Amino acid sequence: MNVAVMKTKFEQSLTEQFNHVSARLPGGAAVGVARKAALGRFSALGLPNRRIEEWKYTDLRNALKEPLAVAVDDDTKVTVADLIVALGPLAHLEGPRIVFVNGGWRRELSNLEGAEGIEVAALGATLTAAQDKIGEALAGTTGPDNDAVLALNTAYMTDGAVVRVGDGVEVGKPLLLVFMRAGNEGRFVATRNVVSIGKGAAATIVEAFIGLPGSTAEGQHNSATEILVGDNARVTHVKIAADTGKATHLSNWMVGLGAETVYRGFQLNQGLGLARNQIFATYHGEGAKLDLSGLFLGRGTEHIDTTLVVDHAVPRCESRELYKGVLDGEARGIFQGKVIVRPDAQKTDGKQMAQVLMLSPDAEFDSKPELEIYADDVVCGHGSTAAELDTDLLFYLRARGIPLDTARSMLIESFVGEALDRIEHEGVREVVLEFARGWLANLGR
Amino acid sequence: MLEIKNLHVKLADEDKAIIKGLTLTVPKGEVHAIMGPNGSGKSTLAYVLAGRADYEVTNGDILWNGESIIEMEPDERAAKGVFLAFQYPMEIPGVAGLTFLRTATNSVRKKRGQTELTTPEFLKVVKDRASKLNIDFDMLKRPVNVGFSGGEKKRSEILQMAMLEPSLCVLDETDSGLDIDALKVVSDGVNALRSPDRAMLVITHYQRLLNHIVPDKVHVLAEGRIQKTGGKELALELEQSGYAEFQGKAA
Repeated sequence: MNVAVMKTKFEQSLTEQFNHVSARLPGGAAVGVARKAALGRFSALGLPNRRIEEWKYTDLRNALKEPLAVAVDDDTKVTVADLIVALGPLAHLEGPRIVFVNGGWRRELSNLEGAEGIEVAALGATLTAAQDKIGEALAGTTGPDNDAVLALNTAYMTDGAVVRVGDGVEVGKPLLLVFMRAGNEGRFVATRNVVSIGKGAAATIVEAFIGLPGSTAEGQHNSATEILVGDNARVTHVKIAADTGKATHLSNWMVGLGAETVYRGFQLNQGLGLARNQIFATYHGEGAKLDLSGLFLGRGTEHIDTTLVVDHAVPRCESRELYKGVLDGEARGIFQGKVIVRPDAQKTDGKQMAQVLMLSPDAEFDSKPELEIYADDVVCGHGSTAAELDTDLLFYLRARGIPLDTARSMLIESFVGEALDRIEHEGVREVVLEFARGWLANLGR
Repeated sequence: MLEIKNLHVKLADEDKAIIKGLTLTVPKGEVHAIMGPNGSGKSTLAYVLAGRADYEVTNGDILWNGESIIEMEPDERAAKGVFLAFQYPMEIPGVAGLTFLRTATNSVRKKRGQTELTTPEFLKVVKDRASKLNIDFDMLKRPVNVGFSGGEKKRSEILQMAMLEPSLCVLDETDSGLDIDALKVVSDGVNALRSPDRAMLVITHYQRLLNHIVPDKVHVLAEGRIQKTGGKELALELEQSGYAEFQGKAA
């Protein structure tokens, strides 16, 4: 039996808008074909809903009812002074910086000084200039075909960074990619980054999703990053999604790991109305180490979902996941961690942990670890906890004269610290801590 | 002066009374010992003085310098000079000892109307006081009490006491878990803090601590109230006779 599902206003709008904007989306004929095919997939799939197992805690169909206009050729005025305010703690981070406003590269706000050893280009311009084969490659993804969010990304992506670090190049300063939401009208923004790290190279890449203070609180960002890490390379990849309350953040990372690589990924989520962070990590070579960690801070009715799929396709690789959450009010946190160990992936070593601090009886945490193990000589473990602040420790701190608010902040900070410690780059770690502290300082207010 | 008047205490979520009409006065400049059998209410008294929420005062009052403290939050009491050295100091993973000490020191200084210590000032004071307690400065860079031995934890308590400069020190079984050498270091640390402006209440099960911290008075606590008060020689008598004569009396 074929059941025709009625399209929601959002689904209908995002399907129809394509006809109006497709001519202005970057890319040659092959990219156009890829976009159209992706839109067709989205149209057929519709937004994911709770009947799809991977999305049972995050029903996008239900959550995203009101469509927004797709951002193309956005020209919202943003000055350098505006940028500095919006960056907050990130303003002090030393290193090259590329800024996108509502999905478009802003040359006047960007600064590529110190980017020696890194080749960076705008995805939009690259798509337009590229020959069909390259365009096709950039428009393709290694993510799942049946992911409607990723399909929307392909259909509507306007810009992003194409980053290449050559073989053996060690980049000291972090490369900062800033995606800013600005203006009085909420927009649907789609961006994509394509990153390739050469063999034996080392780099730190930070993606930041922020809102310009004074802008509308509405906004939807659909972001995707493809990152391929060459053999023996070391990468720290950090996302800071720190907004002001209502925005929707849908993100996909597709991580490919060469042999003997060390890849450390960290994601901070705070101040987002609705967030879904997907990471698909696949090992292509033996002896690689993957370390995924993150911190999600939720209050009010915020909804923050982290969904990982770690695919041990080859032997002798290591995976570590450590996620920490702090939930207040009626906030909801979701952690889904799938670890697949293929039949050949002997000597796999995987450990997963998700821990949440519940500051309110009305907060909710759903945790779903999934281990799919087909090899017999492996070590895999997972765990998950949800707890309140330790009242004995609170008393101890207060008995030393520390006021309740400070004592709570200290204990929360100590709880999240273990995850932050996974960020190898000290400057970046400090920035993340400052963001988190800013969030904690407003607790209960 | 500490004045405890006809104090009655029960567990907050149970009806069982633990302290039943305890009256006690400790003037400034004096050290009083409280001795008693297990389950007599010694630790409860320590916690109630510090303001732990698990206990409820059902009758009576506690005055410190003439002011009732029973409605005060623990941090307010600390600012007023009340300090409890815990029998079991807690481990705080992820909070460095120095951060903890500095936050605590400056919190009480601020509340007392004193200027907060700058980082160099603080470090100078803490280095000096830590070395007197044989505390390795590097230990303070580690998370509070995490992985510390029993003796290290107790010395860390006395260092906190020295930093917070309290006027009422309550020491709960400070001798438990200490070997002779550690006991000496801890006792020296406590004795160094004896002063005409400071009252001390030393709670202990055994007499040996009182050889090092010599009290002005000794009180026997059993069945939730003070059963007997005497001089330091009372501690030695108790060591001989035990607590049997004070138990079962109320029943």
